[in-house]
Amino acid sequence: MNAVANLANLTSLNDERLLIEAAQSDPGRFAELYENNFNRVYAFVARRVNDREEAQDVTAEVFHQALKNLGRFQWRGVPFAAWLLRIAANALADRWQRAARGVEVPAEEGLEDRAEAAAGDMEVERRAMLFQLVERLPEDQRLVVVRRFVDQKSVREIARELGRSEGAVKQLQFRALETLRGQVRNRHE
Amino acid sequence: MNNLSAYDELDQAIDQMLAEPEAALAHSESKFGELVELAADLRHLPRANFKTRLRLELEWEAAGRRVLAEEPRQARRVETEERNVSPVMPSLLGKSWAGYPVRRVNFVLSVALHAVMAFMVGAGFLMVKSTVPRVEPRTSISVRLEPYVVPAGSHPSHGGGSGGAAERIRASVGVAPRAAQEQLTPPIILRNNQQPRLVAETTVLAPPDITLPSTRQIGDPLSNLAAPSNGPGVAGGIGGNAGTGVGGDGGPGRGPGAGGGCCGGLYTPGNGVSMPRAIYSPEPEFSEEARKSKFQGEVTLLATIGADGLPRNLTVVRSLGMGLDEKALEAVRTWRFDPARKDGRPVAVQMNIIVNFNLF
Repeated sequence: MNAVANLANLTSLNDERLLIEAAQSDPGRFAELYENNFNRVYAFVARRVNDREEAQDVTAEVFHQALKNLGRFQWRGVPFAAWLLRIAANALADRWQRAARGVEVPAEEGLEDRAEAAAGDMEVERRAMLFQLVERLPEDQRLVVVRRFVDQKSVREIARELGRSEGAVKQLQFRALETLRGQVRNRHE
Repeated sequence: MNNLSAYDELDQAIDQMLAEPEAALAHSESKFGELVELAADLRHLPRANFKTRLRLELEWEAAGRRVLAEEPRQARRVETEERNVSPVMPSLLGKSWAGYPVRRVNFVLSVALHAVMAFMVGAGFLMVKSTVPRVEPRTSISVRLEPYVVPAGSHPSHGGGSGGAAERIRASVGVAPRAAQEQLTPPIILRNNQQPRLVAETTVLAPPDITLPSTRQIGDPLSNLAAPSNGPGVAGGIGGNAGTGVGGDGGPGRGPGAGGGCCGGLYTPGNGVSMPRAIYSPEPEFSEEARKSKFQGEVTLLATIGADGLPRNLTVVRSLGMGLDEKALEAVRTWRFDPARKDGRPVAVQMNIIVNFNLF
């Protein structure tokens, strides 16, 4: 089983290498790398900042820098996400440094260590997987999840917006969470 | 019913979690603890369309175009606050999280294109020469017919007189005697009775206020003979016909014609003589010289309107110049009149025609 998993990882790494090389020769292919790594990078950043807008800013900055510096990326057998998370860690360090002048900022070396450590952080992975699963929910359930937890609207407001009864919205909310729980369990197993 | 209760119960737990996120841990061991934990994680989801929008930005940047890349965090903060405050045109310049962000360069190009189009439209007004013709001064020509004021006034201008003493030579030159309304004694150059018992002034029947050059010698003004003579006429006047006047064809007046009065067989309107009426009167033209000089005024013509309605003997009695006199004469010559009438019969009259040339 482990051998199968290792083979799958190897295949995945090879595919990612091909994708990176393709994107280096044609930046238009960068979109595929972005799709594969967006939720991981965003979850990594969102876990370190408490503000959604700032998390989005940093995430956007990370991918813009990655696209800009993609030509200098050298494949060393490390997942592309690790490089992205290092960029994210540096971006966060820069922001903290600018925001709090005089406050001692951890050395870059330490940040890299933490970034690499965060890449393997189960919580980040779990959230990244959760965000990805939300994208696959049926449209009405996904819409209720976004309105309820991102926009933090009440069930009554959502019902009025969607033109449904409050009971129907509660039902969609319930089913969405049940679906997500089941898929998360399946992924972990 | 049980399901509905479960939906409500979960929703209440989520409400509590959203109000107090730390309380989510407290629900972790409850019936819906795991679902509430998932809900707590879902609070960190990115906003809707953020992922799509960022992908579009990256695709454009990959194509060599930059959209909102690497903007300072502060600027993005301001944008976010603006989005929250004013949702007016949220997609303009790609400042919103709409699904289709606007490229800044597109907006700039659009503005530039519109500016060029506006300039081209506006330039048309500047480049195209105005076709509005210069307003030339308009002319107005009015014509007024006035009677020719002959000082005689009340008497018809039959004119003329004659007389004589049956002498062999024509009447001698001289001035006609004083004109008067009645004649007591006809003018005589050579008197037979040198010592009359009752002396009366010799007069002719003519308008009394006509002033004539006064010389001592009376006679026929049209004669060129200096030798005193009453003329070959008879009845006591001066001239070659019968009558008590001077010159003419007979009568007590003077000048050509017969009867009393003066000046020939013409009437003037008034005293039973009607005014002629123009029945065909094309307007005179404004002369080019007067038009350019914006010259205006009145030309007074003296005309004889014959019994046939034709104008004759046109003369300018008050000139205006600038070619307007000629224009007035030229036009009035073509006029036709309903002639003046006396006792129902058409008669020739002398009258003024005043042509008024105006510019406005």
